[in-house]
Amino acid sequence: MPTTDVVTVRGLRKLYGGRPVVDGLDLDVREGEVVGLIGANGAGKTTTVECIQGLRRPDAGTIRVLGLDPVVDSEWLRPLIGSQLQDSALPDRLRVAEAVGLFRRRGGRDGDDLLEQFGLAERRRSAFGSLSGGERQRLFLVLALLGRPRLVILDELTQGLDPAARRNVWDAVSQLRSDGTTVLLVTHELDDAEALCDWVVAMRAGRILDSGPPAELVDRHARRATIRFALPDAESSDELLDELRGVVGVESAECHVGRATVLGDRRAIAHVGAALVRAGTVPTDLSVQIPSLEDALIGLLDGAQAPGSSDERSHYLIGATP
Amino acid sequence: MNTPFGRLLGAELKLMLRDPLVLTFVFVFPVLTMLIIGGSFGTKPDPGFGNRDPAHWYVASYLTVVIAATGLIMLPVHLASYRERGVLRRFAAAGFPRWSFALAQLVVGLVAVAAASAVELGVAAPVYGVPVVHEFWRVALGIGLGAIAFVSLGVLLGTLLPSARAAQAVGLLLFFPSFLLGAGGPPPRAFGPAMRSISDLLPLTQVTDAIRDPWLGLGPATVSLIVVAVLAAVSAAVAARRVAL
Repeated sequence: MPTTDVVTVRGLRKLYGGRPVVDGLDLDVREGEVVGLIGANGAGKTTTVECIQGLRRPDAGTIRVLGLDPVVDSEWLRPLIGSQLQDSALPDRLRVAEAVGLFRRRGGRDGDDLLEQFGLAERRRSAFGSLSGGERQRLFLVLALLGRPRLVILDELTQGLDPAARRNVWDAVSQLRSDGTTVLLVTHELDDAEALCDWVVAMRAGRILDSGPPAELVDRHARRATIRFALPDAESSDELLDELRGVVGVESAECHVGRATVLGDRRAIAHVGAALVRAGTVPTDLSVQIPSLEDALIGLLDGAQAPGSSDERSHYLIGATP
Repeated sequence: MNTPFGRLLGAELKLMLRDPLVLTFVFVFPVLTMLIIGGSFGTKPDPGFGNRDPAHWYVASYLTVVIAATGLIMLPVHLASYRERGVLRRFAAAGFPRWSFALAQLVVGLVAVAAASAVELGVAAPVYGVPVVHEFWRVALGIGLGAIAFVSLGVLLGTLLPSARAAQAVGLLLFFPSFLLGAGGPPPRAFGPAMRSISDLLPLTQVTDAIRDPWLGLGPATVSLIVVAVLAAVSAAVAARRVAL
């Protein structure tokens, strides 16, 4: 069955005071995907999703969400979108159960079930102002899901949360993915994107730098893996390092104070392991450091040329090289 | 009440009763000041008060104080705070129609005026007595149009001012001169010519005249009523245009 586009953006441009904040952006989000917009503050991520929600009017370009124009058709479209907005709040004195009652929709999900699911059932009578940061974010998720939305937009969902609350929110988004809900996630917390997203779009200065599955982005922009272990003895060390330098994927192998440091791409991890076993040297302290999406983004922002995605979705790269 | 507007109105009415600023400024301040100033000039008819009981003069005048407190302080601070904290964006993103929030605020403002006016008269009755209303429909029209004018002005200020602090500062700056010169301050005989001229130009003075004069039998105050009607129409129209969630 062919997948359908939930969000289609072409040539989006948005100016603030004459300065382009989003500059010729193209984006597709397909049904059932969790797509992440990542980038530093000021990259244009929030403005992009605000245009997608119809909260801002684009200066140029076209946006279609579920086939509708977010500005012209906002009355029909907004009930189909569940959103958690950055820097937004509810009235401090509004109670949790009252918020659920206020945001409920005909034919929507049962508010009590959602409060139970997100661990807020005990807080039904609590005022919004008394909730912790994690509880507020979970309440926003509950409100976003009340109307059985076809698209959920989450902007900086884990901002300011402690690790436990963050995990809790991750579980909630994973649940959405399992349910087949399309999610557009905006974050500068790259751990969030790496853990949750099927597809990641890296932005800078209103443009797309590169996009792809998180692992592919890491491969393209932060390929180097680092393998470290103690060398068995001084006599055989040079011989072993020479052998490792010839292993597939290895770029360098050096010794420092009795410990080997091998740099290479991800293929090197398996090949170095195999070479060590063949050489009869199985170190007990071997460690492997694999680059993260954050490393990849730093590589991108450092000016690495986006080599382009090899699959059919390479159109994400329109105007990519800044 | 199961429409988005009905749910929003219900929630806003509950929140109004939980807001200490509203309770203080709209419900307590007018009653307290009315009790103090109403007892300051005795109860004998006085030429400076149109040959009416000064206490009754102030009881009739203080409905306007309630209207001003609602329109110049409660609503601007409430709305600016919502805008500042992103509450309005959240309502907009959740699909509440653009007009629903403004209309809910208009209704909440009018309910606040009605409730606080009832409290004021309820407290005045056993202390000073409530003066007989000479021209009921003109008084009702004056209260209705004055409330619409100032509540609309409050919605307008709330959409223009950038923060709750700014709204509070501007609101207080508008409220106190209006309160002192146009409704609850010294009697008009105490004003010099310049102050009297300023007082006559204040919108709140027009609302006070449109309510107090037909209430106490001092005259129909037709000109004031027309001015208030125009003010209500203009401020409601501008507020409606300005409201953008």
